[in-house]
Amino acid sequence: MAAARRHKRMAASQPGFLPLKSNLDGDSFNKKLRKRVNKNKKKNWNKFSDIQDVEEFLDDVRLQERATGGLISERTDDSLFFVDIGEKDEKDKDTQLQTTEKGKRSKPLRIDLILQSNSHIPAPKNVLAFQQPNAKKQRRTLERVAKSAAKGILPRREKLLQLRRAAAASGVSAKERPEAKNNPNRAFYDLWCAGTPETADPYYLEQTKKKLVKRPDRLNEKPSVLPAIEVIAPGGSYNPDFFSHQDLLREAHEVEVKKIKVEEKLARRLAVKEDVATAESTFKEQVEGLIEEEEIEPEDPEVDTEDTVIGPTATQEKKTEKQRKKEKAERIKELQRKAERRVIDKRQQLFQLRSISANLKKQEQRTKMRQAQRKAKQEAQKSMPRRLGRLKFQTPELDVQLSGELASSLRSLKPEGSILKDRFLSLQKRNIIEPRERAKVKRKYKAKYSEKRAFREIQ
Amino acid sequence: MGGLQKKKYERGSATNYISRNKARKKLRLSLADFRRLCILKGIYPHEPKHKKKVNKGSTAPRTFYLLKDIRFLLHEPIVGKFREYKIFVRKLKKAYGKAEWSGVERLRENKPAYKLDHIIKERYPTFIDALRDVDDALSMCFLFSTFARSGKCHVQVIQLCRRLSVEWMNYIITSQSLRKVFLTIKGIYYQADVLGQTITWIVPYQFTHDHPTDVDYRVMATFTEFYTTLLGFVNFRLYQTLNLVYPPKVSCSNCLDGQGEFSFKSECEEDYALESESYSEKLSALSASLVRTVPSVDEEEVELDHFPVEGEDLEKMEAREKIELELNKQKKLFEGLKFFLNREVPRESLAFVIRCLGGQVSWDKSLCIGSTYDETDETITHHIVDRPSIDKQYINRYYIQPQWVYDCVNGKILLPVEDYFLGVTLPPHLSPFVEESEGDYVPPEKLKLMALQRGEKPQAAAAEEEEEDEEEEEEEDDEEEDDQSEGEDEAEDEENLAEMEAKRAQGKSLSVKVTPGKAKPENRMRAYQEEKAEEKRLAIMMMKKREKYLYDKIMFGKKRNVREANKLAAKRKAHDEAGKADKKKKKKKC
Repeated sequence: MAAARRHKRMAASQPGFLPLKSNLDGDSFNKKLRKRVNKNKKKNWNKFSDIQDVEEFLDDVRLQERATGGLISERTDDSLFFVDIGEKDEKDKDTQLQTTEKGKRSKPLRIDLILQSNSHIPAPKNVLAFQQPNAKKQRRTLERVAKSAAKGILPRREKLLQLRRAAAASGVSAKERPEAKNNPNRAFYDLWCAGTPETADPYYLEQTKKKLVKRPDRLNEKPSVLPAIEVIAPGGSYNPDFFSHQDLLREAHEVEVKKIKVEEKLARRLAVKEDVATAESTFKEQVEGLIEEEEIEPEDPEVDTEDTVIGPTATQEKKTEKQRKKEKAERIKELQRKAERRVIDKRQQLFQLRSISANLKKQEQRTKMRQAQRKAKQEAQKSMPRRLGRLKFQTPELDVQLSGELASSLRSLKPEGSILKDRFLSLQKRNIIEPRERAKVKRKYKAKYSEKRAFREIQ
Repeated sequence: MGGLQKKKYERGSATNYISRNKARKKLRLSLADFRRLCILKGIYPHEPKHKKKVNKGSTAPRTFYLLKDIRFLLHEPIVGKFREYKIFVRKLKKAYGKAEWSGVERLRENKPAYKLDHIIKERYPTFIDALRDVDDALSMCFLFSTFARSGKCHVQVIQLCRRLSVEWMNYIITSQSLRKVFLTIKGIYYQADVLGQTITWIVPYQFTHDHPTDVDYRVMATFTEFYTTLLGFVNFRLYQTLNLVYPPKVSCSNCLDGQGEFSFKSECEEDYALESESYSEKLSALSASLVRTVPSVDEEEVELDHFPVEGEDLEKMEAREKIELELNKQKKLFEGLKFFLNREVPRESLAFVIRCLGGQVSWDKSLCIGSTYDETDETITHHIVDRPSIDKQYINRYYIQPQWVYDCVNGKILLPVEDYFLGVTLPPHLSPFVEESEGDYVPPEKLKLMALQRGEKPQAAAAEEEEEDEEEEEEEDDEEEDDQSEGEDEAEDEENLAEMEAKRAQGKSLSVKVTPGKAKPENRMRAYQEEKAEEKRLAIMMMKKREKYLYDKIMFGKKRNVREANKLAAKRKAHDEAGKADKKKKKKKC
């Protein structure tokens, strides 16, 4: 404030000072009685000293500086006034200038004009923008580097660079870093051209891991016989033949029917059985046995109770010597009989040769048939998706468009299904990757929901 | 008696397999890295025959690998790189946490990277092996190149895929090896014949992506990583076989016509793309041919060598020659034709197909870079449009729907354009991937196409199209012809048809006249045929019971097939007639 006041005094004391805004209330201000206040406190200085005149003056100065680039009072007369000779010439010149610059008049947009700064004072520079962080430190390091360079000591990076250059010049190539494989502009070469055969010792190559291990042939077999690209049925054409389209639709329909059947079956099995308790049935249950029924109980069948004995009946009696001998003789006789029978049978088989051979043939045929069946099954298995993990491969739904959905022209065609998903499933179907599902996000704790107060207030 | 007791699960299949988790631990890799490694090296899980034995008595479903495979993986140098990468990430995290920016920068500079070249060489020892497996790679590359630059995968990968797929398409164009195209509700299937290998791939339609959530993007990205490397090497080799410059360069022969035109063109390009991108964009426009390392001599027809052969070989030779001739014809199908694509048709696909068959193609300047001539060009022969009507039409060109181009590729002939005019209901787009065996149902459109291929004029069909209110008689005539065409289908013989045709003509001009008798020239033929039939009958009679049973079964199956086909054909006819009747009704109402 003090400075401003001083400034004002200085300007006012100068002879040709013209304030832009005439100060009308200056006189009334002087006449006012001054309020007495203690001026021994800084707070009061600020509070009770009236500085409006100074501020207005300073505003005026700033306005002048902005509008004209300096105080008008300091300007020479020539710069403020001119002799009015006539307007016409200048206007012409102006228009000429504008038209000659280009074929058409290039008039700046009004919006740009508005936004243009019309101040004569340049905007202050942002000091911070030009400041460098760590400038001092960097300057010091530069100085140090310069000093050491004068002595002939180079920094490490420089040294390495020079070494590399020297190596490159002498022909010894530095170790190359492998390039990223998806770099679009990496060098080209033929992978399958017959390069120069390796001349080094194979044992050396093997031990230094420069020779790759041979890939087993088994790995070059494909895990499925299915083709990589399975072309959609002719009914999947964008403008299909009527019957092939119907075929495809029928196929899709059958799949759908099967699915519905399974669902129905499940529902049927899970259904609650129909015998739900009614009032009548509960009552019946309660009185069960209390009411004497008219039906005559079936009379007990005649049971001879006198003969029934509980427990073992026959007590073991010791066999006599005679009995034992008899049994033994019988046993031997039986064995003999059987042996004889066997011999006779064998002899008889000679006459059954035909039927035996027929039997054999039948058996052979059966094994052959079974072998063929097994083989066919194995062949079929080759094209089937295998069970490779926790999940089974699910055949995707057929992509079809109903007759109403078919596009009338290529332009209005709406593609069905996603090729990305198709490719993914094809990889699964060909046993290249195992079927997977998206991992579910597991929460350790249950999420807790709470309403914010602001939200509650609205409701 | 005696000896040590055999322990369970210490021999046999239990020791041949290793569970995934154990394998992972053996390799000291995280699960994600293990998966990546398996995909890159081509090692697949294996389902053991006796799961319970392998699983040490447990029946829990697990993923098993063969132990030998995992041992093989232990030698892989990439495993070390994976571990390095893990450590790199850890260090980087630490540096970030401590806000050591210079450290972060240093680490970033030394980020470990690995190459897959040796794996590709190992998995595909010869170039042909690689070419056989390129189906997957192509489909994946084309798919990834259409992805939006979202966070699903790296932008660099998308760019690389795009580059590789464009290179592939340019190769197919230059080698003219496209054979089949099939527009489906999923995407566009292409089939090409590259160095004797049949290669099929699918290209999605543009702007169709909603990213499915049940696909593991990390797995797919790993596959793509491998396949892009593979495709890069394959492309390079293929370009070499044709003496093309790799990386591909657009030849500027058309740019040098006139200085004025050249400057005009470059201005257009500036409007379209940045300087840095305009090259790749121009390449992907597919409109210009590529530069060769050896200036191409006008390609002379390479004629097959003729060797004097006899008997069966001769037949084979003839068949081969016929196929060769057909192929050459297909390659030059669109030669001399000039196409202009309207802006609503799929530009890339059509440009690719047309250029593959030797046609010239252009489009509106504002549609894409690389247009070679304007819509106002008088020499344009075909204008491809996919809207119901167009305001300004030139007289000297056909306005056709895009399906014509694709059907021509599949039919290997220039189809009549009348069926494909603006606003006309298109004939169905048949699948070129279906090959009907004898006795199967063949759609009538295909029959028509086959007749066209044999060089017959489809008069009846044309008449049907043009004159809708026909006489009853004529319809009957049509039916007759249809029947005949079916018969001919069974016979599969052109001559037969001609004979029948002739016979019918005779029958029509039959009049009551006595003509001098002629020696019947076909008598001998008939006698021969009769003899053959007799022989067959006798052979059937002489069959053993079991063989007879089998024979009857086979014949029954064949007959059933024919019966079903006939049924379908009859149905189709009924359907068509119903459609026609409807049309008539409508007309009457009108």
